[in-house]
Amino acid sequence: MGIITVLWEKWVEFRRDFYKITLAAMIAPLMYILVFGMGIQTISHGQPYLQFLIPGVVALTTMNGSFNAIAQNLNVQRLYEKAFDQVMISPTPLWQFIAGQIIGGSLRGIYAGCIIILLVLPIGISLCFNGWSFLIMFLNGAVFSTLGVVVSFYARTHTDVPRFSNYVIMPMAYLCNTFFSSDNIPHGLREVIQYLPLSQTSGMIRSIANGEPFSYTGIGILAVYLVVLMALSFGFLYKKKNL
Amino acid sequence: MIELKNLTKKYDDFTAVDGLNLTIETGDFFGLLGPNGAGKSTTIGMLSTLYLPTEGEILIDGEKLTRKNTALKRRISVVTQEYSMRQDMTVEEIMEYQGRLYFVPKKEQRERTQELLEFCDLADYRRRTVRKLSGGMKRKLMVCRALLTRPDILLLDEPTAGMDALARRQMWNLLKQLNQNRLTILLTTHYMEEAEILCGRVGLMDRGRLKEVDTPRAMIERLGRYAVDCMTDGEMSSRFFETQKEAIRYLSGLEEDASLRNTTLEDVFLYKAGKYLEKR
Repeated sequence: MGIITVLWEKWVEFRRDFYKITLAAMIAPLMYILVFGMGIQTISHGQPYLQFLIPGVVALTTMNGSFNAIAQNLNVQRLYEKAFDQVMISPTPLWQFIAGQIIGGSLRGIYAGCIIILLVLPIGISLCFNGWSFLIMFLNGAVFSTLGVVVSFYARTHTDVPRFSNYVIMPMAYLCNTFFSSDNIPHGLREVIQYLPLSQTSGMIRSIANGEPFSYTGIGILAVYLVVLMALSFGFLYKKKNL
Repeated sequence: MIELKNLTKKYDDFTAVDGLNLTIETGDFFGLLGPNGAGKSTTIGMLSTLYLPTEGEILIDGEKLTRKNTALKRRISVVTQEYSMRQDMTVEEIMEYQGRLYFVPKKEQRERTQELLEFCDLADYRRRTVRKLSGGMKRKLMVCRALLTRPDILLLDEPTAGMDALARRQMWNLLKQLNQNRLTILLTTHYMEEAEILCGRVGLMDRGRLKEVDTPRAMIERLGRYAVDCMTDGEMSSRFFETQKEAIRYLSGLEEDASLRNTTLEDVFLYKAGKYLEKR
């Protein structure tokens, strides 16, 4: 099965770069927690700010972990190493290749998210992460892995991926219900931001972490993003005249 | 059997391959020759489904080749012009990845990897990453990888570029052996000697069009089996003769430095390429 092949490839990569991957997943989120949560000690919604911040950081770490695991890697394989040509030539069905990338990217996202959950355990903030949290993290990872596939396919140069990251991923990381509630964003922009996948993920993980019920609509919104992005990537692979 | 029917590839206003019609029989060793930009690699690209034709089609044993036709793709292996490999994988991992992509059973993949790496003198480098291999080793690895899947059709886009003379000879021997076992091979190369030695038939391409298809021998004989090279005013020119007698007669009448030799496929190529250039 082609999906297993891609997962094997991701495993080889993970095994080899284990320390690099782990450190990269830890540094930025730890900084956020140290600076915003512990350095600038504030109260949000009547609770310590860390209570609000940690679920947001877990969500954004999942996003970054998944997107970075796929976009840059696939872009290098396609434009620089040309290793992607061998996949195209091979009899592995291309949908399986994409599915493998999505699952592999999601797992990398979950791994990054889990590191943050483990690191904040000693802080002593009472947050709950259950099966739903991990399902949402997986779904969020799947959306951003697929976005990574799409971006790497449509990128024309090596610099397009970091550029996209700067213009889209980084603003999302700050604005999408991670460091502050999207309710505080001005009307008009708020409605747009609320429907972005990371806003939904942050909201749902935060609700679960605080023992509150969460809206299943968020899962539906993530699923819609996933379907649309998958359609774009399949369109590229099967219809594009020159790869 | 591979059939290319009216195969055309256009990039905006530029036509890279223009109405190519060609049949390659099962077990043929076919060489596609031509100057840079003639459309050889684009043709290989379409045969490997990396590029989709603008017009026309490719049939393999009567079945249309598409990106979705995984059964047909299973039968084709490609050695691309570029080192299309993950640079951070080891030689062993590259082989395993290929085996997995082509659904080769694990046991067979291991045995075949051992056999091929030993044959290509790469067994000692099995744990070395691709990044640390020399250009020639990378080429050999690409060929090993292509053969791992026991293809029916092998597409080779300049497979010996960057190899030293010894490695190239080894590769020729291997390709000859494979072709004797009824493997259909399509080769593009800039080494005319390679095409002359290996290919049963060759096609000359220019500006996307197939100008001529024949055996190397027939092409050489049409030009003349004997060549006289003559240096006039610092410039080398060659004349071709059907018989040795005619060539010697011409040679004896020359006052400049001149020599007699057998005509090669390179002479045919240079002669034809010159003609094509004149027509442009």
